[in-house]
Amino acid sequence: MALVAVAILAALVVAMVCGLVIGPTSIGTLRVLGDVVSHLGMGHSTLTPTQSEIIWQLRAPRMVLGLLAGAMLAVAGGTYQGVFRNPLADPYLLGVAAGAGLGATIAIVDVGGAVVTPSWTPILAFAGALLAVAVTWAIGGRGLRSSTATLILAGVAVAALFTSAQTFLQQQSSTTSLARVYIWLLGSLASASWSSVTLVLPYVVVCVVICVAAGRALDVMSVGEDESRSLGLPVRRVRLIVIVASSLGTAAIVSAVGLIGFVGIIVPHIVRLLVGTSYRRILPLSVAFGAAFLVFADTIARTVLAPSELPLGVVTAIVGAPVFVIILSLRRPMAA
Amino acid sequence: MSSLEVLELSVHAGAKALIADVSLSVDAGTWCTVIGPNGAGKTTLVETVAGLRRASHGTVTFSGESVSTMNERQRALRVAVVPQHPIIPFGMSVHDYVALGRTAYHGLLRAPSSKDRRCVEEVLERLSLVEFASRDVATLSGGERQRMVLARALAQATTVMVLDEPITGLDLRHQIAILELLQKEVRECGLTVLATLHDLTLAGQFADRLVLLDQGRMVLDGPSGDVVRSRELAECYGMDLRVIDVDGADVVIPVRH
Repeated sequence: MALVAVAILAALVVAMVCGLVIGPTSIGTLRVLGDVVSHLGMGHSTLTPTQSEIIWQLRAPRMVLGLLAGAMLAVAGGTYQGVFRNPLADPYLLGVAAGAGLGATIAIVDVGGAVVTPSWTPILAFAGALLAVAVTWAIGGRGLRSSTATLILAGVAVAALFTSAQTFLQQQSSTTSLARVYIWLLGSLASASWSSVTLVLPYVVVCVVICVAAGRALDVMSVGEDESRSLGLPVRRVRLIVIVASSLGTAAIVSAVGLIGFVGIIVPHIVRLLVGTSYRRILPLSVAFGAAFLVFADTIARTVLAPSELPLGVVTAIVGAPVFVIILSLRRPMAA
Repeated sequence: MSSLEVLELSVHAGAKALIADVSLSVDAGTWCTVIGPNGAGKTTLVETVAGLRRASHGTVTFSGESVSTMNERQRALRVAVVPQHPIIPFGMSVHDYVALGRTAYHGLLRAPSSKDRRCVEEVLERLSLVEFASRDVATLSGGERQRMVLARALAQATTVMVLDEPITGLDLRHQIAILELLQKEVRECGLTVLATLHDLTLAGQFADRLVLLDQGRMVLDGPSGDVVRSRELAECYGMDLRVIDVDGADVVIPVRH
C-alpha cells in the first residue's frame, strides 16, 4: 500500500516534469527545473523571455489543466463505481457526456459558417451536462425506494435522447462545423490557458475533496442500500451529495476540455487492483494516478504527430482499451 | 418497560396489505421468534421493525422511543439487523466487515475511536473469529460467514437485534451453533431478540415466545410449547403436525397421509 502510494506520487512528479519539459521547442530539463526553482525564490533562471513564455503561458496551464481533468475524472469514476456498486460505472453514466455534447453542438453548429469554435461553447456544454444529470435524477433518483438501477436506466434513456438530438443537429450542419464538433467531442487540452484553469479550479477542488471524503461512506455502502441504512448510513443523502459532487466536477472539466473517455473507468480499476477494494484508498490514489495518467497521455497526444496533435480522447482510449481488457480478465469479483 | 413494542402495525404494498394490525411486545433480555408459512409477512414485519420499511399504520417503539422519528444513525444505535441474504463485499477483510457495525458511533468522516476498535476486537474474540480477522470475507464458509454477520450486528452494541432467517443455508451443526451464540447473548448480556425462523423445532427450542403469522395477520402469540402444540399452527400450514417430546425438547414433525 505505502509502496504503491509512493510509486503513484513519483509518477505524478515525473508526469508534471514531462508536461513542462517535453514539447516542440527543446529546452533542457535542468534549465526548466532551474526556472521553476527560481519562481520559488531560489537561484536564477537561465531561460530567455520567449522560453519562459512557452513554459509558463503554454505548457504550465496545459499541464495544470491536465492534472485537474485527470484527477476529477478518475475520482468521479471511482465514486460512481462505489455509489452504484457497479464496476462499469464511469463519470458519464448519468448523461454528463451526452448533455455536454449536445450543448457544445448547439454552440458550434448555430454559428454556421464561422471558422472558430465560439467562446461560449464551454458555458453551453456545462449547462447541457448539468441539465442532463438533473433530468436523469428527476426521472430515476426520487421516490422512496428508488434503486440505483432505476437511476442508471434513467441515465441511459436521457443519454440516448440527448445524443439523438445532437446527431440530428450534426446531420443538419455544414461539414466545417461538423469537423469542429468532432474535434471538441474527442477532447483536447490544446486551448488550455490560466483563465480556463481558474474557471474549473474551484469546482474541481471542492468536488474532489467531497468525493475523497466520501470514501468511508462508500465502504459502508458496499454492503448494499438496506444494510448500510441499518448500519446508520443516511444512504439517500450520501448518494445525492456524492452524485452532485462528481457530476458537477465532471461537467466543469468536460466543458473545458471536451469528452475524454476511459480515464474515469480504468484509473480507479487499476488502483483497485493495486491496493484492494477500500474506497478510502482507491479514491485519494485515483486523484493522483488520474492526474499523472492524463498528463502523460497529453504529452503523447501533442508530441507523436507534432506539430499536429492527436485528440486526447483517442490517446486515452488507445492506452485505456487494452489495459481495460486486461483488467477485465484479471478483475477480482466485485460484490454484485 | 418492553425493549421492543409493536402496536397495531400495518404495512401495504399498493393496495395489498402485507401485514395488518400486528401487535407484539418483547421484554428486555428475551427472545421472540416469528413463525408462519411463506408469504405470511414475517420478513415485512422484521424489516418494518428495523425501520427499513415504512408502516402505513401503527408504531414500532424501542424502550418507548418511536422508530419513525429516528434517523438512520439513531436507529442503528438501538437496533441491529441480520438480513436473510447479507451482501458479502468481496475484497473486504473480516475485521473491516465487523468494524462496519461501529459506523453509527464514529460517523462517516472520522476514524474509529479506540473504544470502537476495542469493541470490534472483543466481538471477534467472543465469536471465535480472531483467526479469520485478516481473511477476505469471500473466502469464508457459509457457517463462518454467518458468524461474521452476527459479529457485525453485535459490534453495534444495541439492546435489540432483529434477525431474518439467520440460519438459512447452514448445515445442522452450524444452525445450532449460531442459535446457541445468540442464546448466550440473550441470557448473559440481556440482548432482546426478534427473529424469524422456518424450522419449527428449532424455533420452539430457542425462543422464549413464538408469534404465529398467517396471511399478514397475527394468529397466535404465546409461550413456545403452547404455540407448537396449537391447532392453529397445523391449520396455517395446512398440514397434520405431531409434536414429540425428546428429552424435554419439543420436536415438530409433519405427517404425510
